[in-house]
Amino acid sequence: MSKKPQLVRSKLPLSGRVVMFFIRHMQHAMASMGELWRNPISSLMTMAVLGVSLSLPAALQVLVKNAEAITQSWNSAAEISLFIDDARSERTINSLISRVKVYAEVSEVHYINRDQALEEFQRLSGFGEAIAYLDTNPLPAVVTVTPTLKYSSPTGARELLKKLEREPEVSFGRLDIEWLERLQAVVRLLERTVFAIAVLLVLAVVLVIGNTIRLAIMNRRTEIEVMKLVGATEAFIQRPFLYTGIWFGIIGGVLAWMIINLLVLYLDGALTELLGLYGSQLQMQTLTFVELVQLVCLASFLGWLGSYLSVRQHLRAIEPS
Amino acid sequence: MIQFEQVSKVYSGGQKALSEVTFHLQRGEMAFLTGHSGAGKSTLLKLITVIERANAGRVLINGHNIADLSSKDVPYLRRDIGMIFQNHHLLMEKSVFDNVALPLVIEGFSHGEIKKRVHAALDMVGLYGKERHHPIMLSGGEQQRVGIARAIVNKPPLLLADEPTGNLDPKLSMDILRLFETFHDSGTAVLIATHDLGLIARMKYRTLTLKQGHVLGGEELPSSRTRSFSV
Repeated sequence: MSKKPQLVRSKLPLSGRVVMFFIRHMQHAMASMGELWRNPISSLMTMAVLGVSLSLPAALQVLVKNAEAITQSWNSAAEISLFIDDARSERTINSLISRVKVYAEVSEVHYINRDQALEEFQRLSGFGEAIAYLDTNPLPAVVTVTPTLKYSSPTGARELLKKLEREPEVSFGRLDIEWLERLQAVVRLLERTVFAIAVLLVLAVVLVIGNTIRLAIMNRRTEIEVMKLVGATEAFIQRPFLYTGIWFGIIGGVLAWMIINLLVLYLDGALTELLGLYGSQLQMQTLTFVELVQLVCLASFLGWLGSYLSVRQHLRAIEPS
Repeated sequence: MIQFEQVSKVYSGGQKALSEVTFHLQRGEMAFLTGHSGAGKSTLLKLITVIERANAGRVLINGHNIADLSSKDVPYLRRDIGMIFQNHHLLMEKSVFDNVALPLVIEGFSHGEIKKRVHAALDMVGLYGKERHHPIMLSGGEQQRVGIARAIVNKPPLLLADEPTGNLDPKLSMDILRLFETFHDSGTAVLIATHDLGLIARMKYRTLTLKQGHVLGGEELPSSRTRSFSV
């Protein structure tokens, strides 16, 4: 015998090893599923915890998505009103309009002359009667300018406003976007909060799975010892636990998706009513199929990670004695 | 098969378990390992199965120096050693078939091959037809046989038995030893740790006696029953 013989890793031929590798993985995956099936109560408890934990970040994601959709539809409402000097004639106003129309930043220009303005005010304000007593029309002519999409943002629109105010016919301009800025700030805050909460809940998922797997390892302590004694590698022993973690993740993810859909169904009526009050035609959005796949993939990865961390720590500690 | 050269083992508490043990178990040889409890029998077996590692000296198993083995390699070494325990170490919630099949499943044999080999092993220990039973339904002697079937199912070149007859009556103990003899006859090296001196006396095999960590009678007997086989 040579001084340093190589240990025989496997007595099977390579082709057989490759085939058996996949068969073993399938068997382990199925066996782990069967193991969960045999302990339905404790498995379901863990899965429910995972489903709820995952549904919260997913629900917040839906919330952000809807908030974004709403603010986007309001973004185009960034409109600049230019109040025209009363002394200007129709002709100069017309030339102003044609000048503004060729601005690269402007997508639409709409002119409301003084009579139209008065008429509109009478119709909308409810002071129609009182206005009839006025000798002269107090309202100025207004040119409303809709910026292009690129200049619809608060800063862009403000820039355009400054430029328009330099036109001699314009006495002053107004850009009513402060509320829009505030809304966007709220949405940004919401997004950050969602992200922070999502990170915490994802951590919770990893810990829950890690702890569940730790208990499973403790329960099968003697079996693991025997397996180590008869020559099982760490990879072989940990595989069923990793699959268990992945199953937990997948089922938890699907549960979370179901919870989200129920939640959306529950909120849809109330939200439609609220949006209807604001004159919006928006439909509440739920998770798309791609997002469902992403959710389940993320959940199964978290399941794998939680169980991997647990297995790394606890399987090593079990040695035959 | 097993070669100890000046091997010493001191546990972390300062307890000296083995000191300068030297012996050589030939390929295909059968021998007994005996001594009072606390003499170091268990420690010696643990060094062979790499559950513990020696502080000094060299341990060679099947030509592999244990000191050179990384923990990753240990499982592959253990696959060459069939281990039999006093308390069987069977998995109680699994069938006899699954228990015996475990080493083959770990090595990745196909289902058909596993079936064939498990049946052969159970046949050899006289438990053919009890595949579907659970260990709990079997008697102590039968459980021990399941453990033996598991140890030999992947045909290792070395069998280690730790008090294999510890819980059995003399008749059953003799049956078990006869079983070991048949494996020895087919070329497997066998090392049996036992304190049953009566049993040893009835069989003409080399006996390694441990006393306070030292080995006595490590030299080979002139007996013709020490044979060398190549596996």
